[in-house]
Amino acid sequence: MSEALLSVRDLSVVFAGDDGPRTLIDNLSFDLGQGEILGLVGESGSGKSLTCRSLVRLMPSPKLAITSGAVMLDGRDLTKVSEADIRDVRGRDIGMIFQNPTSHLDPLMHIGDQIAEGIRVHRGVDGKAARAAALDILAQVGFPHPARQYNGYPHEFSGGMRQRAMIGVALSCDPRILIADEPTTALDVTIQAQILKLLMDLRESRGLSVIMITHDLGIVAQTCDRIAVLRQGKLLEIGGKRDLLGRPQHPYTQNLIASHPSMPARQAAMSSHIVHPTAVVPKARPLIEIDDLHVRFPVTGRGLFSGGPREFSAVKGVSLQVMPGETVGIVGESGSGKSTLARALLGLTPISDGHVSFDGADIVMERAKALSKLRQETAMVFQDPYNALNPRLTIGTMLAEVLAVQDSVPKERIPERIGELLDLVGLEREFAGRKPLSMSGGQCQRAGIARALAVNPKLIVADECVAALDVTIQAQIVDLFRDLKRRLNLTLLFIAHDLAIVRSLCERVVVMYHGEIVEEGPTEDVFSAPREAYTRALIDAIPDIDPDKRLVPPRGGDALIEETSGLVTDEIS
Amino acid sequence: MHRYKFVLYRPLQFLPVLFGISLITFVLVRLIPGDPARVLLGTKSTPTAIAAIRAQYGLDQPIWLQYFYFLQNLAQGEMGKSILYKIDVLRLITTRIEPTLALVLCSVLLSLIIAVPLASLAARSNGGPADHIVRFISTFGIGFPPFWLALMLIIFFSVRLDLFPVSGYGENLADKLYHLILPSLTIALSLSTVLIRSLRTAMIAELKGDLATAARARGMPESIVFWRHVVPNSLVPTVNLLAVNIGWLIGGTVVVESVFALPGMGQLLVRAIFSRDYMVVQGVAMVFACATVLVNFIADIVTVAIDPRVKQ
Repeated sequence: MSEALLSVRDLSVVFAGDDGPRTLIDNLSFDLGQGEILGLVGESGSGKSLTCRSLVRLMPSPKLAITSGAVMLDGRDLTKVSEADIRDVRGRDIGMIFQNPTSHLDPLMHIGDQIAEGIRVHRGVDGKAARAAALDILAQVGFPHPARQYNGYPHEFSGGMRQRAMIGVALSCDPRILIADEPTTALDVTIQAQILKLLMDLRESRGLSVIMITHDLGIVAQTCDRIAVLRQGKLLEIGGKRDLLGRPQHPYTQNLIASHPSMPARQAAMSSHIVHPTAVVPKARPLIEIDDLHVRFPVTGRGLFSGGPREFSAVKGVSLQVMPGETVGIVGESGSGKSTLARALLGLTPISDGHVSFDGADIVMERAKALSKLRQETAMVFQDPYNALNPRLTIGTMLAEVLAVQDSVPKERIPERIGELLDLVGLEREFAGRKPLSMSGGQCQRAGIARALAVNPKLIVADECVAALDVTIQAQIVDLFRDLKRRLNLTLLFIAHDLAIVRSLCERVVVMYHGEIVEEGPTEDVFSAPREAYTRALIDAIPDIDPDKRLVPPRGGDALIEETSGLVTDEIS
Repeated sequence: MHRYKFVLYRPLQFLPVLFGISLITFVLVRLIPGDPARVLLGTKSTPTAIAAIRAQYGLDQPIWLQYFYFLQNLAQGEMGKSILYKIDVLRLITTRIEPTLALVLCSVLLSLIIAVPLASLAARSNGGPADHIVRFISTFGIGFPPFWLALMLIIFFSVRLDLFPVSGYGENLADKLYHLILPSLTIALSLSTVLIRSLRTAMIAELKGDLATAARARGMPESIVFWRHVVPNSLVPTVNLLAVNIGWLIGGTVVVESVFALPGMGQLLVRAIFSRDYMVVQGVAMVFACATVLVNFIADIVTVAIDPRVKQ
């Protein structure tokens, strides 16, 4: 590492809460070298985002204050310079990009103008020069038609293009340091690979130094030079990525690495659990039979003078059978139709064409019968555990409600059953009296699973149910599913965009793309020898925790075309 | 530009709305106890005179036939004849529409002039003294009924200070505006309290939001963060609130016009109701309803113009 460009010394940040001060960042020290990518890894609440906000004094709340330490850049201590000076540092020396480009871009402003705004303010140039500079930056961050796309609004672009625009805004004033706060967490795996590639290219071409905040060790392994592990505001260890990933010193880091779904040890442990249900239950009838299913939605915005109705096909001719006790993973990028498929299967979305039957009851032909069967024998677990639980109900009340409606347990046995359910999902029984807001994300998701189990389901549909959780919690929830599946002989339909998790949990996998199944088969076969180019691109795009397995951003193929086609509206009109 | 296509076909949706309004006002007016002929003739009323007047205005016809004639006239751009004023309702309305229109416009402008700076002040000092003062004023304003506020303004500005006229409407433009200041202020004071609350809440949320954080992170000074990003995004929800309130305000001019003796539609409506002048009540109600529909239509256009995400 060359001489440090930015150097953080003994940084402490304290939150002045109502019940006394709390130290959120505790004596943190690290250096960032010229042209270096430093990964800041930790779970939510570890203080990794706050650390980076503190570098440019952008405190999320006025109750937070830097109490000690120094942030040295060019011989100046950024914690001590004036408000006007730090404003000059922001954007011009240190740029920032965020996890959610949608909320961080101004929805009412052309994306080009948002890039030009920084150039005008920082460089004091006129509108025309700023526009020219912004066009240049749009091209650099991968907009294929800068002149036309300059006047696009953020909502007209796909998530990946919005993140490119966000990067363009951050780079508008040519900063030397870029802080990237979970820049790809909200993106699909193939898009993620492209954005990471862009960041690395920009590092090369501009000599940019990057601080990459992420919870995904795969990303740091693929992109960073050095890694710092944070926990509860403290720096646990810092070092070169090979050293740190190869020989982690701290037990927490070791656990973090072991929890990563791409770890060979974890995968081996999983495959030994895989039971082939056809062997266990011979001559079984499929629990779910989907035959040539089509789901079409009318496109909104249809006007009096715009001709006939237009339709969007979310699912196009999907056929699938799921045997009782089987665990099937459905993977695909956002918009591939995997959630629509699940919703159609549960009778939550009207079916346009084709047949779906659950345990012999056809949802189209015998709707009433099939629906009552579905409501009694299936349950769903949702992505966002907080939004899926009623914040005003305690977990006990919520479970009692389900049990009372289902009428499967006599009234006096309900409290006992609630206790059993909490035991099943690994929550203490005292959680019956708690409300979602006083619980962590992982605990809420366990409660959500308990609610699903309360109906005594044959089938559980889990829709991206671990996507919002930290890695170590993800691993725990996946273990819980594995355990429940074995004990209750559940059939599990596991929808995820995270291929590594599907690989570790499911015995069969279905790959969806643009509403169709492009590949399906036993998980290991599909992952080790994918037949379709799309599946291979999807697998190659997963950042592996082994730094020597290079990240291959998908080249060519449909995935790239969709991403670089620019204005989404162009495709419609 | 296809986002603006709704401007072409939306007016077609107004037709059933206006039809419903015409039916309701027509029936409701006739449900009011009393007889226009009796009111008109007063003490001179004899059964034959009443019958003659009723026949003259078609009031002796069955109600459904009266409604049919009303619609027929409406289609030809006529609203019948006023029983009290003895002239065409449409002509009557055209002579009275200007003060009301001017009053509404001035009130809305004035309320925006009051609300935007005060809400900005409050939001930017969130929790500070300015915020408390603005919140106090706006809560205070909501508590006072407009008629009381109007009387207080008259007593203070007109009677004590002799700054503004007590009542009436002027001859030329300057004089008219001079007469409109107090009535508009009365309405603007109540309207701005509602706007301040909505704007302040939206601005505080935006100031703390991701958008402002991102703008600050690229080194934008607080003035740009506020005026270029926070204010436009906060105006989006307020435009619709304003439209709803203007609709309410058009009816509310009745009180203010009466207190300030402005010769507008509100005053005309009150007098017409008292004298059971069915044609005029119907006509004014139709105009008010059309105005409300139109205001909401304009608000939709403004929303689409401000917010590129909106599709009508």
